[in-house]
Amino acid sequence: MSGAAALGIDAGSTTCKAVAVDEAGKIVGRRLEPASPRIDEQASRLLAELRTEVGGDPPVGATGYGRKRVAASRVLTEITCHARGAFALLGRPGLLIDMGGQDTKVIRLGKGGEVLDFSMNDKCAAGTGRFLEVILGRLHVPFDEVAGQVRRAGRAVSVSSTCTVFAESEVISLVARGEPLEGIVKGLHAALASRVAALARVPDGTELFMSGGVALNPAMVSALAEALGREVHVVPEPQLVGALGAALAVA
Amino acid sequence: MLRRIQYELSGHLVGPALLRAKEWRRRRSRRGLAPKAGPFGPPLESARKLKELMSLHYLQGRFADGAVPVAWVTSGFPVELLRPLGFFTLYPENHAAMCGVARTVPELSDAVEKEGYSRDLCSYARTDLGCVATGKTPAGRLPKPDLLACCTNICQTVLYWYKALARRFGVPLVLIDTPFVYGEAKPHHVAYVREQLEELVSVAERVSGRRVDPQEFVAVIARAKEGSRLWGECLATARSRPAPWTGFDGFFHMAPIVALRGSEACNAYYRLLLDELRDRVARGTGGIREERHRLLWDNLPMWFAVRELSTLFAEQGFNFVCTSYTNAWAEAGVLVDPADPYGSIARAYTHIILNQDLTNRLGILRRLARDYACDGAVLHSDRSCKPYSIGQVDLKDRLGEELGIRVLLLEADHNDPRAWAAEPGENRIAAFMESFG
Amino acid sequence: MTQTLSTDSRERAFPPAPSRRDSIHRQRDAHGRRSMAVLPIHYPKEILTALDILAVEVWGPPGPPRGEAAGRIQSYVCAVVRNALAFLASGGADAVDGVLFPHTCDSLQGLATQATDLGGWGKAAFVFQHPRGGERPSARRFALEELRSLARELEAWTGRSLSPELLAAAIRLHDEIDSCRASLLDGRARLPIGDPELYALLRRGEWLWPEEHLAELRSAVGRLGPEPAQTGLPLLVTGYVPEPMSLLATLNDAGAFVAADDYAAVGRRVVRRNGVADADPWTDLVSRHLAYPPCPTRGIDQAARMRHLVSLAEASGARGVLVHVQKFCEPELFDVPAILAAFTARGLPVLVLEGELERSLSGQAETRVEAFVELLRARGRAA
Repeated sequence: MSGAAALGIDAGSTTCKAVAVDEAGKIVGRRLEPASPRIDEQASRLLAELRTEVGGDPPVGATGYGRKRVAASRVLTEITCHARGAFALLGRPGLLIDMGGQDTKVIRLGKGGEVLDFSMNDKCAAGTGRFLEVILGRLHVPFDEVAGQVRRAGRAVSVSSTCTVFAESEVISLVARGEPLEGIVKGLHAALASRVAALARVPDGTELFMSGGVALNPAMVSALAEALGREVHVVPEPQLVGALGAALAVA
Repeated sequence: MLRRIQYELSGHLVGPALLRAKEWRRRRSRRGLAPKAGPFGPPLESARKLKELMSLHYLQGRFADGAVPVAWVTSGFPVELLRPLGFFTLYPENHAAMCGVARTVPELSDAVEKEGYSRDLCSYARTDLGCVATGKTPAGRLPKPDLLACCTNICQTVLYWYKALARRFGVPLVLIDTPFVYGEAKPHHVAYVREQLEELVSVAERVSGRRVDPQEFVAVIARAKEGSRLWGECLATARSRPAPWTGFDGFFHMAPIVALRGSEACNAYYRLLLDELRDRVARGTGGIREERHRLLWDNLPMWFAVRELSTLFAEQGFNFVCTSYTNAWAEAGVLVDPADPYGSIARAYTHIILNQDLTNRLGILRRLARDYACDGAVLHSDRSCKPYSIGQVDLKDRLGEELGIRVLLLEADHNDPRAWAAEPGENRIAAFMESFG
Repeated sequence: MTQTLSTDSRERAFPPAPSRRDSIHRQRDAHGRRSMAVLPIHYPKEILTALDILAVEVWGPPGPPRGEAAGRIQSYVCAVVRNALAFLASGGADAVDGVLFPHTCDSLQGLATQATDLGGWGKAAFVFQHPRGGERPSARRFALEELRSLARELEAWTGRSLSPELLAAAIRLHDEIDSCRASLLDGRARLPIGDPELYALLRRGEWLWPEEHLAELRSAVGRLGPEPAQTGLPLLVTGYVPEPMSLLATLNDAGAFVAADDYAAVGRRVVRRNGVADADPWTDLVSRHLAYPPCPTRGIDQAARMRHLVSLAEASGARGVLVHVQKFCEPELFDVPAILAAFTARGLPVLVLEGELERSLSGQAETRVEAFVELLRARGRAA
C-alpha cells in the first residue's frame, strides 16, 4: 500500500476529527474524539496515528475552529471543507445543513459543488446541538433513548422560548404540569428544527442534506424534514464531512 | 365618498381579536390555576360600540382603494391636513397592534426576515411589512395606498419603514420631519415643520385631486382638538378611586383618537365612553373589582399579552390607572389653535412626548403618578422601541427616589411575543406585586 | 482619551500620529484651541474648524462598555450609544471642553438627552439637527438656519467670531481634505499599502487638527502609483465604522481588499465636488452638506442609495459586497434587504456581518469573512 494521498483534520470546538483518504478520495482511516483545549497537540497526535495506520507522509488540510493551530499545508474554513466533502460524497447540488455541538451551518451547493451561499448560527446556542444536549441532559434522557421516545410520542408539546436557558426552565414547568415527557422531547426537536429552518431559507426544489454530530439523531433528522417540508438525506459518516473536505483540498 | 357596505357579522379586528385573545388565555391557563370568578369589574358597554366603529372602518377600508384616495399614516402625523381631502386613512401601527393581539406577528416577521430584515427592528414595522409581503391580515384586506404620510415625531424608524413601503408601492411619500426638542423648540425648528406642512398640502392635493378648503380644514382641526380633549376627560376619570376602567382598557379604546382623529365618529364615541365612565365613577364601579394598588404604565403595551397581564395584575388588586402612551393623545390637542392652523399644528405635533427630551418625559411621568395617586409604576423596557426605552433605567431610579414608589423595569416588546420570556417575566411581576406587602 | 488603535506593526507605513489626548493637549497648549467630542455621524466640521475648535470623534470606544454607566442603557441598544454613554460618564472624555451630538438616529437622540439631562455629561453640550428627506426647499432653508444657529452657539461659547472669510477658508480646507480622501479611496487599487494602514491613516482625521491631517493625506496621495498595486480580490464594503480594525487585516490575509468604501465613518463623509458651489459661504456650506454620499440616517431615497452602491461596486470592479452593520442599528439594518436585492440581481454575493464594536474579531466572524473570500475566489477560478 502506498499510503494515504492526503490527511484532513477538522479541529472543532466540541470534537476533533481526522481522516486519511486514498487517491480516489475514499476515507481509509478515521479518528474522532472530544476536542482538547490543546488543539495543536491533539491534532499532531491524531495525524501521527493516521500516518502510522495508513502509511505515507501526505499533505495535511486543516479546518474547524482550531484550524490555524494545526501544522497544515492548507487551511480553509469549515464552510468550504464541508461543501467539498459533502459534494464528494453526494455528487449533486443542494442545501447542506451541518449541525454540530456548538454551531449550525447551512451551505448552498451549486452544480459543481461550489459554495453559492452560506449562513451560520453561531452566536446563540438555541439553534445548535447544544440546545438539545443541555435540556435533554436536564431531563435525564440518554441520547440512545431519544429516537424511541420521539417515535412513541403523540403530539409535540410546544416549547416556545427562543433561548436555551429560558427553554430549560419552560421545560421544567411543562414536566411539573404533567405534560408527557415524550411529547416534550418531540417538542424540543420541533423547536430546534424550526430555528434551523429559519436559518436555512430553502428555495423550492432544492434537495436537503444533513451532516454533523446531530445528524446521528434520527429524531432530529425527521424533525428537520417536517419543518422544511421535504426529505433530508443524511450524508454517510456525517461527522467526518469537514475533515474529508479538508483532505480533498490538498489531495 | 366612502361606499356604504352591509356590515356582516363575520366580523374582523378588535372584536374577534379580543375574543381570540380571551380564548387563548383560557386555553393556556397559567400554572393550572382554576379559572376564577374574574377580577375585573363589569365590562364596558361602550366596548361594543368601539368594536363596531373600528370594524366598520376596516371593512370600509377593504373597498377604499379605487373609490377614494388612500393614505397610510403614522400615528403622530398631522392628519388634519388629509381629512379635508377625503383620504381614507389607514394606520399601519394600529393594524400592526391588531396582529399583535392576534399573535400572528412571528409568522409575518418570518416572512420579511427571509428578505433580510433583522429581528431586532421595530416589531410594528416587521408586522406591517410582513402583512404587505404575505397579504395576511385580520382585517381581511388592506387598501393599497396612494400616498404614504410619515411624521418622525414618534421616532426616526418610521421614516426607514415608510421608505421601504414607498419602494414596494411606488407611491409618493410625504414627510413631516420634526426636529427633536432638547429643552425648547427653536423658532426655526417650528418654522421648518410649518413649511413642510405647506409643502405637504400641494402633494396631497395632487394625489387626491382636490384642494384643501380652508374652512373645512379649520373645522377638522377643531374636531381633532375636541377629540383629544374628550379622550383626556375619559382618561381623567381614572383619578377617582376606584378607577372606573383599567389602563389596558385604555390601550384598546385609544384606537379612535389615533386612527379616526378629526372625525365626528371619533368624538361621538368618546362622548359615549365618557358618559359611561362618569356613570361608573358616580356608582363607585371599578375597572377591577378590588383596587388595592394604583400603577402607572410607561411605554407601549405588550399587545400579545394584554389580557394575560391585565388579569395577572387585577387578580392581586393592581390597576394601571394611567399610562404615558394613552396620555400622549390627550396632550396632543392642547397646543392646537383653530385660529392659527398651520402654526399651531406645527407646534403641537413637534411637542408630543416622544419628540421631547427626558427631562420633559420625567416631568410627565412624575405628574401622572401624582395626579393619579399611583403607588407604583411599571416601565415596559420595549426592546424594539428605542425612543421610548432609552433612559428608562434612569427614569426608574428617579421616579422611585423622588416619589417614593416601587418601580419595575420589565423587558419585553410591543408586538413580538418571541421577545417576552413569559415564565421569568411573570415571576418578576409576582415578586414586584408581593413587595407592596 | 484612552482610545488607542491596535498595535499591529504594519501600521508603521505612515509616521505615528499623536493620540487623541496628545492632539487635544497640543492644540490647546500651542494654539489655544478648544476641543469637542463629537458623536457620529454627520456634523458641520467646517464650523468647528473656522472657530478653532478641535473635533474628536467618538466611535465607541470599542470593547465592552466600562464603568458604572454601563448598565444605564439596555443591552438591546447599539454599542455605539452604550459605549459612548459609559465613556462619557466615566470621565473618558474629560480632556475635552464640550460635546456635540448630531441628531443622527433615535438611539443617538436618546444618548444626547440621557447624558445631558439624567447624568453623564455636565460640561457644554450642543446638538445639531440635519434635515431629512432630501432636497426640499424647506430642508435647504432649515439646514441653513440650523447651521447658523449652531455657529452662533459656538461663537458664544468660544468668544470668537465666525466671519464669512473664516468660514470660506474652512470650507476650502475641508474640500481639499475630501479631495485627497476621494483620490485615495477612488484610486485604492493603485495604492501599495494594506487596508489596516490605509484606514488607520484615514481615521486619524477623527481627531487630528485638519491642517495636520491634510499634510499626511497629501503625502499618502503621493504614493498612488500609475498601475494597480493590489493583487487581492476587490470588495465593496458598506457599513457603519471599521471596528474592530482587525477585520481589515483578516480581509487582507484572506486575500481580499477594500476596493470601494461606503463606511459611514469614512467614505460616506467624503464630499466630491469641483470647487465651491456658491460665493456666499453659508449657502456653500449647505450645498456641501447636501452633497454627502447617500446615508440612511439622512432620509435619502433608498433607490438613490442603491444606485450609488451599485456604481461604487462597478467602478471598483468589486467581486463581492461586505455589509458591516452594527447590531441594533435601525437606519443601516432597514436598508439590508434592498442591498441584498440590488446585488443579487447583479449576481454579486453579499456577506452581512453584524458587529458590536468588539475589540477584536471573534473566531466566528473571522470564519465567516474567510469563508466568504474562499467562496469568491472559487467563483473567480470557475469563471
